[in-house]
Amino acid sequence: MWLHKELFAMFERMTKPFYFSFLLLFCTTVSFASIDTIDVDVGISVFKTMPIGVVPFTEGSGDFSKQDEKPHEVIERDFNLSGRFTAVPSSKFDLVKFSRERAKFYVTGRLDQVAEGRVKLSCYLYASQTKDLVFGESYVVAMKDVRRTVHHFVDKVIKQLWGEQGVASTQLAWVSKIDNVKQVVIADYDGFNRRQLTYDTSISMMPVWSLGNADIIFVSFRNGKSQLFQKNLSTGKEKRLFPQHAQTFSPAVNPVTGEILYAGIVDGKSDLYLGDPNTNKIQKISYSKSSQVSPAWSPYASEILFSSDRGGSPQIYVMGKDGSDVRRVTFMGRYNERASWSPEGDRIVYTSMDGGKMNVYTCAIDGSDITQLTSNAGNNEHPTWSPDGMLIAFSSDRTGSHQIYIMRKDGSNVTRITNGGDNTSPTWSWYGKNEDNTLKKEGK
Amino acid sequence: MMKKMQLVLVTALVTVALLACAKKDEPVVNPTVKEAPATTKNMSSADSAAAAAERERLESERLAAERLEAERAKVEAMINKIMSDEVYFDFDRSELTASAKELLTQVGDILLKEPRFTITVAGHTDARGTEDYNMTLGSKRSEKVKEFLVAYGVSSSRMETVSYGKENPKVEGQSEEAFAQNRRANFKVNIKK
Repeated sequence: MWLHKELFAMFERMTKPFYFSFLLLFCTTVSFASIDTIDVDVGISVFKTMPIGVVPFTEGSGDFSKQDEKPHEVIERDFNLSGRFTAVPSSKFDLVKFSRERAKFYVTGRLDQVAEGRVKLSCYLYASQTKDLVFGESYVVAMKDVRRTVHHFVDKVIKQLWGEQGVASTQLAWVSKIDNVKQVVIADYDGFNRRQLTYDTSISMMPVWSLGNADIIFVSFRNGKSQLFQKNLSTGKEKRLFPQHAQTFSPAVNPVTGEILYAGIVDGKSDLYLGDPNTNKIQKISYSKSSQVSPAWSPYASEILFSSDRGGSPQIYVMGKDGSDVRRVTFMGRYNERASWSPEGDRIVYTSMDGGKMNVYTCAIDGSDITQLTSNAGNNEHPTWSPDGMLIAFSSDRTGSHQIYIMRKDGSNVTRITNGGDNTSPTWSWYGKNEDNTLKKEGK
Repeated sequence: MMKKMQLVLVTALVTVALLACAKKDEPVVNPTVKEAPATTKNMSSADSAAAAAERERLESERLAAERLEAERAKVEAMINKIMSDEVYFDFDRSELTASAKELLTQVGDILLKEPRFTITVAGHTDARGTEDYNMTLGSKRSEKVKEFLVAYGVSSSRMETVSYGKENPKVEGQSEEAFAQNRRANFKVNIKK
């Protein structure tokens, strides 16, 4: 009996601060919710975005004309893309504007040149009413790293105001046609700082990130067949994965162990295999007369989503990680493919073909509560979740060429992040390290 | 049963047609073999130093081999041209259509007649749908073609299948005509060296 009492007391001690912070969080959410109707951009959005002021940085001594974008412009885009904030830009601190737009906080900073090509970047988060500094950091960085540093600061602001990890420092990999050959490229999540990863004369496609983001795993046709390769991003070293199979594709990285689930073709039928990229050991996961393809893991790698044509056309199924307990998820429509499990675990996003057009849908993990996120805008496919589950990146040919877009998880606030060329099949990176130690922080 | 009869009939007809048409090509395949020994003989009859004769012999052998390889490559290119006909499929289907089967019997006849030929069957899809599922569909199509040829009597060890999914369209574009042209399986013929 005393044990129960003791436990209860302990529970009470532990939860008291939580009650308080919950209460606080609740209050703020409610107050922000009341102004959401003002924001016409959001439209049908069910998101409660937080208005936040953005003021240009003060520029000290030095020439800053070479920046492709000013720090506050990067911040503004980060806020608007985040699915959490609506930026309220203002050329200077403007209490009237901030209070009218309910921006309880605002962000600004200062840029000073400290040496040739090096700057001191100071970023601040203030409370609008009191002008109290909520949070501030200074960094001394190379000019070219200002962007990266600003992303880093935005994630700190999100941590401060939402208590959650943001995605401003994450990356995307996708497939870009370069000189008419599909190549793998990677870039910051906002489409900037793009780097080409493959330079083959044959097709490269289906890039995914290894756990920890050190490598890209992708499909190459360099040997005349689709085969999985792993390329290290810092050394550039490449190795072929799972040579036991002549044709491999559809890689999906286990979010816990880093193992790779993939589709391998044997006798004209594709099945799912689980392989260890370090040892190249493989094991078969799916047993069926039909083909299985497009595997995806649940957030804690206990379940596997995949597509199968066992019903005559591709539909989405789910099974245990050992291939047991197969259940069908999608029943509406004839073509449902490439499902991917939300990081929060409650929903899946997938592509469905109707009338020859591809569109992005989400549904609950039991297939109920289907929501169409894209419509009447060309083909929209290959959705991928941001690691915080707030956003979905996808590719669309709505402008006539395939480009990469980011939207909120409810389909609102669609933003194009690539220009020109042909860009398809985005996959979002994992979270990086919690603290970016490469950014040298200066004392407050 | 009816289908089988039809198939046999079609096969017989096609075989006759093919034999007639293949005859034209045949002379190109073989003639080089005869020349090599003749030249060697001429050279060795000249009673020069043994070493020089040996050099000559090697040289002529090399030339003969080169000629043979050139002939082989030429025939390979020619056969690939003859086989450039493609097997077409219906949307999201891997079943062989009647016209596909007709073409495949001709391909089968060529393969049965020429045991040196091995082939790679490549399966393709149109641009609609995901990359992933289309890889699967392409492999199903190439496998269907292989299965048909195995049933026709061609050893499966002479055939390799590969899927390109939607990655290698014959015709660019989003029209129904382009789609139909891209839903296909095609052949690459290799002649053993």
